[in-house]
Amino acid sequence: MGVSEVPKVFTPQTPIWCPGCGDFGVLAALKKALNDLKIPPHETILVGGIGCSGHIHNDLLVYGYHSLHGRLLPTAIGIKLANPRLTVIAAGGDGDGYAIGGNHFLHALRRNPSIVYLVMNNGTYGLTKGQPSPTAQIGFEGTKEIPFEPILTALSIRSTTFVARGFSGNQVQLQFLIKEAIQHANAGKGFAFLDVLSPCVTYNDTYAEWRKSTVDMNADKSFDPTNRALVFERVLNTLQEGKIPTGLLYKGESPSFESMQLKDPASPIATQDLTPAGKIEEFKKLIARYR
Amino acid sequence: MSSTQTTEVSEPRVVHLEDLKVMVGGQGGDGTLTVINLLSHALKQIGAYTYDTRNVLSRIRGGHADGVLRASVRPILSIGDGLDVLVAFDEEAVEVAKEQLLDHAVVIYDNSHSQLKTVLKPTVKVYSAKFGEIAGLELKKTLLKNTVSFAVLCRVLGLADQLAEEAINWRYARRGGDVLQSNLQALKIGFRLADQLGVKPSISFPKTEPKQGLIQITGDEAVGMGFIAGGGRFYAGYPITPASEILEYLQANLPKFNGVALQAEDEISAINMALGASLAGARAMVATSGPGQDLMTEGLGQAGMAEIPLVIVEVQRAGPSTGMPTKHEQSDVNHVVFAGHGDFPRLVVAPADASDCFYLTVDALNLAEKYQLPVFILMDQALGQNTQTVPEFDFSRVNIDRGKLLTQADLNRISVYKRYEFTEDGVSPRTILGTPDGFFQVTGNEHNEWGFVSVDRINRAKIMRKRMLKVEAAKKDMPRGRVYGDQDARVGFISYGSNLGPILEAMEQLGKQGFKTKFLLLRSIYPLLEEVQEFLESVNTAFVVESNLTGQLAGLIRREYGYADKIVRINKYDGSVFRPSDIVSQTLSQLPRNGGE
Repeated sequence: MGVSEVPKVFTPQTPIWCPGCGDFGVLAALKKALNDLKIPPHETILVGGIGCSGHIHNDLLVYGYHSLHGRLLPTAIGIKLANPRLTVIAAGGDGDGYAIGGNHFLHALRRNPSIVYLVMNNGTYGLTKGQPSPTAQIGFEGTKEIPFEPILTALSIRSTTFVARGFSGNQVQLQFLIKEAIQHANAGKGFAFLDVLSPCVTYNDTYAEWRKSTVDMNADKSFDPTNRALVFERVLNTLQEGKIPTGLLYKGESPSFESMQLKDPASPIATQDLTPAGKIEEFKKLIARYR
Repeated sequence: MSSTQTTEVSEPRVVHLEDLKVMVGGQGGDGTLTVINLLSHALKQIGAYTYDTRNVLSRIRGGHADGVLRASVRPILSIGDGLDVLVAFDEEAVEVAKEQLLDHAVVIYDNSHSQLKTVLKPTVKVYSAKFGEIAGLELKKTLLKNTVSFAVLCRVLGLADQLAEEAINWRYARRGGDVLQSNLQALKIGFRLADQLGVKPSISFPKTEPKQGLIQITGDEAVGMGFIAGGGRFYAGYPITPASEILEYLQANLPKFNGVALQAEDEISAINMALGASLAGARAMVATSGPGQDLMTEGLGQAGMAEIPLVIVEVQRAGPSTGMPTKHEQSDVNHVVFAGHGDFPRLVVAPADASDCFYLTVDALNLAEKYQLPVFILMDQALGQNTQTVPEFDFSRVNIDRGKLLTQADLNRISVYKRYEFTEDGVSPRTILGTPDGFFQVTGNEHNEWGFVSVDRINRAKIMRKRMLKVEAAKKDMPRGRVYGDQDARVGFISYGSNLGPILEAMEQLGKQGFKTKFLLLRSIYPLLEEVQEFLESVNTAFVVESNLTGQLAGLIRREYGYADKIVRINKYDGSVFRPSDIVSQTLSQLPRNGGE
């Protein structure tokens, strides 16, 4: 085959984000992490949500799926169960994950599937022009609601195994956290939940505020990310001090969803030979009890 | 004996029936369906075809519940009309059944709580005994009244005691020693009671060798089996009557074939899990009923827009809203044909019996992958949950066609791979996740051939046509309908699903009254095929029979083909299935004065 001007598959496209959008930082850190870990691109699926963040999968040469609003997690779980060999990364926004997808978020935390869930959290619905999201602070766009704290929720569910928070303005930490998350999931250890503070420069520019208020919990050597109760207490206290805890906050052990559900996780459902010919005798056993 | 009494005086006359109908009724939790199940098994051993149905309330215990078993020397797919035997655990069951009791009927009544007060035809024979009380006293378990009554029932039908015992063994052997032993004891007590009551066989059913190659199965179970045989390996659902049995069947059996059946947190999650699994390359299915389909509609549109293969089973129940969860209806035709915003392709197939449920599930899996769209299997409560006798499924007939699915070798032969490439039949070659060089972008936003979001006007118009083209292309592969009856008849029926049985029997009765009829059983609801037009051309009157108020199928046919002057509706929407007599009477009352000629 000669040299072709036309690429064989799609050419990644720069997302539609505003200059300075926090999501660029998330994308950059994600690319770096995937490169450093040498994850085979064809074995990687990036599941995007709806909203600005939902364009993240367009700029990577991996498999990309733009799921329904709020439905990244069920989709990603379906993918993982069908083929546990894949690196499955769901990456969506805070409205997507904590509002319309809130139910799925809870059950993903509970089930512990070995996938990465990155939430680009900016407290607002940017694409629809700045309505408050569940993580908006009181007063933003007139909201009178108490913000949702996903980290505390994740810590409160006893089968979570990886809870972290990054900030797109802190690349070094974010790259570390994304790598840790991917390694956790790809080792079959379960659900790697990473909330990333990712400012919306147009409707909720929180860069300066978050630079001041974020605290890297891992900087304190006495912080033990394996003690759920203490982590919960430290995170809660930090929040009550008006600070935002970041870092690898909790790491624990619990059986992964796929290991509990699949008979043979090593032989993926998705790549099975479906030809009935060799299975007729097994099929006939299904009939026996109806005779 | 103080505990027993009979109303019988003269020497019993044995009524010979080739078509037997037995109802067992009581309160939910009385074990009525167990008696039906046992009798069904016993009658199959003497060569009967059986069909049974349940009438239960949406609660775990209490409230009237009954099961009806029909046995025939011929294949049957309806509960028919009338009752030959009633086993009643309370007065309410007798009240419910009274109108249906035929002149020669026998009633077996549990008078543990009260003597029977309902006045029945004088020709009806009644055997009363304290089944519950005796089971409680002698076995310390009142619930065993069902097995006690089963013994008396078998005696009334002149079935050998051994046959009854075999049925008990068949049902309880797996449950272990105690359960089996107490049921065998209950059976003995029942036989003793029958002796005390002086029960003589008063109804007989022809005894032949059991027919080989037949199975007793529900439509839901047949769908589950068809899914496994057809290569289905990923199922996600949420409990809902009357589709839960599919979830249960697949949770029990799919792991044997290295597949998985998940119970999701809701139907929204279930359908998205299935979409994910399908993208990964697994043959995926969800099953639900109307209320669940409401929630799945979002995912349905995604499957249509993003062109992801998916099979959705919709077992209809009485709506709207929560409706009557355990009751029969066919009021979701519009729902499956029109659900979702925007225009997108879909297919709807409709099985009519358990065999069809098996084979059409295989077909649906093939259609979904071949045309890369959502395919509905439209069923109804009666089809999903009633047990019927059908030929064993022929697994060698199962063929798997995955359509334009590119392997790595295929990709090596092409220079460019676009997920949504424009093609003649609208179907673009697809890859599954993990294929080197098969990268795609898949999205529910409007997109170009690469799968990138696009609002370009020229692309939009072209790609909308591309997707809808697939419905036309699929017509050649859609399951054909079946035409029954007299080819020359000018009066016709059009229907689908579990109405098959009642309509065939109604046609027979109409035939005896001198009316020639024929019947088009639809198996493809969307798109409707030319067979509908041909059939309508060939008749003067077409009765569209369906269990709903507004005539949804009739509306769909008129919308597609017109013929408003020929189409007459026969509807039933009280939560119960059509009986042949309903169709006969509605046909005769609505037949044009010239008899449809």
